[in-house]
Parts: sequence; C-alpha cells; structure tokens
Amino acid sequence: MHAVILDVAGTLSAAANLFVVAAGLTLVFGAMRIINMAHGSFYMYGAFTVTTVLGVSAGWRFWVALLAGAAVAAVAGLTVEVTVIRRLYDAEHLTQLLATYAVLLIFADVGQRIWGSGYRAVTPPAVLASGISVAGVQVPRYELFVIGVGVLVGLALWVMLARTRFGWLLRAAVEDPESVATGGTNLARLRTGVFVLGAFLAGLGGSLTAPLQSIAPGMDASIIVSVFIVVTIGGLGSVAGAAIGALLIGLAQTLGAEFFASWAASLIYLIMIVVLAIRPWGLLGVPER
Amino acid sequence: MHTDSLAISAEHDQVRPARRPGHARAGTASAGVVVVLLALAGLVWSPAALANLQEALGLVLFAVATNLLLGYGGLVSFAQAAFYGIGAYGIAIGWLHGQLPLWLGAAAGIAASAALAVVVGAISLRTRRLYFALLTLAFTQLFFVIADNQTGFTNGATGIFGAMVPTWLTEPQGGYYFTLGVVVVVTLAYYLIAVSPFGLTLKAIRENRERAEALGVNVFRHQLAAFVISAVGCAIAGCLFAIYSQSASPDLLSWTNSGEPIFMAVLGGMNTFLGPVAGAFVYFYAHLYLTEHISDWQLVLGLLLLVIVLFKPSGLAGIAADLSRAAAWLRGRAGGRA
Repeated sequence: MHAVILDVAGTLSAAANLFVVAAGLTLVFGAMRIINMAHGSFYMYGAFTVTTVLGVSAGWRFWVALLAGAAVAAVAGLTVEVTVIRRLYDAEHLTQLLATYAVLLIFADVGQRIWGSGYRAVTPPAVLASGISVAGVQVPRYELFVIGVGVLVGLALWVMLARTRFGWLLRAAVEDPESVATGGTNLARLRTGVFVLGAFLAGLGGSLTAPLQSIAPGMDASIIVSVFIVVTIGGLGSVAGAAIGALLIGLAQTLGAEFFASWAASLIYLIMIVVLAIRPWGLLGVPER
Repeated sequence: MHTDSLAISAEHDQVRPARRPGHARAGTASAGVVVVLLALAGLVWSPAALANLQEALGLVLFAVATNLLLGYGGLVSFAQAAFYGIGAYGIAIGWLHGQLPLWLGAAAGIAASAALAVVVGAISLRTRRLYFALLTLAFTQLFFVIADNQTGFTNGATGIFGAMVPTWLTEPQGGYYFTLGVVVVVTLAYYLIAVSPFGLTLKAIRENRERAEALGVNVFRHQLAAFVISAVGCAIAGCLFAIYSQSASPDLLSWTNSGEPIFMAVLGGMNTFLGPVAGAFVYFYAHLYLTEHISDWQLVLGLLLLVIVLFKPSGLAGIAADLSRAAAWLRGRAGGRA
C-alpha cells in the first residue's frame, strides 16, 4: 500500500509536469500547424530563470521565480514568433523542424553565455518541502503541488478552447483562416498570442521541474524528445490527447524504473511505436490526408 | 525488393529518364574533376589533413544515402543515425566479442541495419509526414538507449575502443584511399539508383502521392525499398567511421546525429544529387574551423542554418545555379554588344 501511494503520486506528478510542457506544444500545433523544436529551449530557460531568481535559498521568492521562469519563456517565445515562426506558416514540416532546430541551437549557446555550462540546483520552498500524510504515507507536498498545477492548466485550457471567444477564433482559424481574417480578426496577432501562450506553458513546465532535478545545458534537447512522444501518442494538436500521453509516459517511467530497471528507458519509445503501429495518427488525432 | 520495384515502375514509360540537360553534364564533369583532385590529395597532403579528409568522405556518404530518402523521397527520417551507429557497432562488437575480421563485422553490421530498416520502415511508413519523422525519432532513441544500457554487449556509455582495424587501414594513405574508393563506388551506385526509373518514381510519389497511386505505383513498397537502400548506405558510412576512429559509442545513434546528414543535404541543396556532397564537405570543414576558433559555434551554425532554410532553401546548389545563370546572362550581353 505504502509503495502504491508513492508510485501513484510519482506517476501523476511526472505526468502533470510533462503535460504542462506538452500542452503548449500541441496547442501551437493545433492552432497553427507549426511544430516547434525550440519549445525545449523555452522549457530550459524557464528552469534556469528559477535558479537565477532563487539563488539557492527558498522562501516566498519561489512563487515569483515560478512566474518569472514562465514570463522569460513567454518573452523568448514572442521574439521567436516575430522573427522566425511568422515565416513558417504553410511551410513544409521539414522547413519547420530545421528552422526551429536552428533556433534551439542558438538559444543553447546564448543560454550558456547567461547561465554557464555547469549544473544548478534549487530546493522547493519551505511550505512544500516536507511530506503530507495520505493514508498514513508521507507524500512529498511538492509532488502534490505539481499535480495541482497540471490539473489547473488542463482545466484552464479546456475552458479557454471550449468557452471563450479566443478559443472559438482559434479553432476557426485552423479550419478557415481567410474567413476569420475577413471577419475582422487580426490573424497575425491571434497566432502570436497562441505561440506566446505555448512558450509560457513550456517555461512554466521548466520552472516546475527546477526543484525536482538538476538544471543543466542539454535539457532542451532531451525534454523535446519526451514531449514529442507525449503529443504524438495523444495525437498532434489534441490537448486531451497530450494529457493521456503524459499519463502513459509518466506511468511507464515510474513503473519501468521499479520493475525492469535495465529496460526502463526503452519503455516510452516502445509505447510510442506500439501506439502509432495501431493508430498511425495517435490516440485522439485526426487521420491526415 | 529493389529489383521488384524496378520492374513495377518500368511498366510506366512516362517515368523513363529524359535526355540529360546541360547542367547535369557539367555536374558529372565537375564530380570527375573532384575525384581526381581527391586522389591526388592523397599523395601530397599531410597525414593530419588526410585524416580530416577521410572523416569528411564518410560524412559525404552519410549525406548522400540520407538524401535518397530526403531529397528524392521527400521523407524526413531521424532513423539514419541508428543505421549509421549499427554499421559502426557491427565492426566494434564483432571485434570485441568474436574477434571477427573487419570484413565480417562490417558485413554483419550492414546486414543488421538492412534487416532493422525493413522492420522500422514497414512500421513507420504506415504513418504520414510529421508522424513519420517523429516515429523514426522514437526508433532511433530506442536503439540509442539499448546501446547505452546493455553494458554487457556494447560496453554501455563508454563505447568500444581498440585495435579493431588491420594496420594498413590505420595508416594515413591506406585508410584514406580505402575510404575514397568505397565512397566513390557507393556514391556512384546511389547516383545510378537516383536516375533510374525507381528514383524517378520516388520523386513522382514525393510530388503527388495520390496521382502516383492512381498510375498503379505501389507507394509503400517503393518507399520501403528507398528506406532500406538508404539505411545500407548509412551503415556503410558508419563502418567507415569505425575504421577511421577505431571506436563505436552510443552517441553515434543519438537523434541529433540524425540531424547532421539532413543539415548537410539542406545546406548543399537536397533537390540535387551533388548538393549533399558539397554540403557535407562545407559542413565538416566549417564545423572543424568553428569548434577550433569560436566558443559559440552552435550559435553560428544555428544562424547559418536559419538563413539557409528561410532565405535560400535550395542551398549551395541553388546559389551555384544562380551564379551560372548570371554568368550566362553576362556572356549573352557581351555577345550582343559584339
């Protein structure tokens, strides 16, 4: 029982963290048909920003750091959208992959200039540092906090897409961008808005990760692979699919590490291969022409 | 599978190669000159310069093999590094576990790559476009993790190092001429495939899949054949790497390593056969220079890639075509005045 509760908390918090990052990527793909490798850079910048704001001390500044991480990523996203992404609408996916990979390389070196090439680590704030008793088991509070943020982000995105004018315009802009533009909507600003929101979520995901792992260069390229897997399993463009994908990958990571340690790292790739072998467009995706 | 596909496409007269235009003949001539110059370089260049050139030649083959899929097939595969790495591991593992002679290890690695390519290709080609790219990425990561974790077989993250290559191949000229010979022969084979009815059918599928299907082309079998042929070339390039470096390590199979031949092909111009060859040389020497002299080499590389992708997607081949057009225009003007 003890181990099960810890496993469930571990799985859910890993899934929630992945979901926050993946939701940003899949949102951008769903609204703009843009696949963005530099999403990993936004994530890394979020995490590094947290270490800068905090130094190594925790406290009330953690909440500021969390938002600062997301905000820095959003600003980076705005810069990238205006300079690069605008030229990539309707481009081949190869062009998109290469151009955003180039952006990832550029951000990697700029990041090393700012934060150096060494490892950094931060601790969660005092309020979230200890455990909380769930059915007699001490579950880390920080894990529960991450789960809470993941659920909130999921709900907020659902409300935004299904219930707001912004969400309606977004979905309409995918189906028929010309009509939306004719209707008086500034399409360019709408797309910039979505991209910045996606980058914000990547930064928020990176900020959330900061107290859980050591922060180092290279985390941009490694997260983008995990996030690609999550969104592909779920179906590119589907936020609900990203949630399912994140849960599957979170589960595979937690259980894999426990039961088949030497094959654990292979498990997430095997899951993706099996899912796409059965459904070539992902679980909740739409078949492409 | 390959000859079978040839038979299928040969039924369609409209995909037979047309008479070769002037610039293709110019390409053949310049390729011949480059090969002669490379052969002469072996006689006069210093051992250190030859070692670099030998490494660059391996990358040329990696780029050419990748471009059969990318440029001709329109398929973005991130699995190329896996086949490259398995080629290198064939030699290294054969030497480590079986004391196999180099040739047997290389043959085993190439055969293993081809066999895996059939499986990876058959699963991945059921998906389309971005899903295909991302699924091949997952396969590459899977093989990377296996090479990294199965310590008993692959030595894990440390990799395999040692005297796995006969002495004559480790000498500067021996290794260089062997590599040059292999790269020239295999590149020529890829050229013949690219201009064959099979290569043209691949292009037709890239341009309009539905129309090719309607003409009776078996799209899946053509793409799978291209995937396997491309994997074999990547594996041979991997063997050349193992011969050059006397090592194999998991990094060879990382997905970022799959990005390199794609970058070389795009840099040189992926819609031409020789573009990726030029792209590989330029990339290799630019990379060598940048890593030696500039600490922020990724920044420069990224900017370069960005400029090409956004402003000159036809790459160096496109620039060369522009220049030759400009020269012809100037000549025409000079002729008109005279």
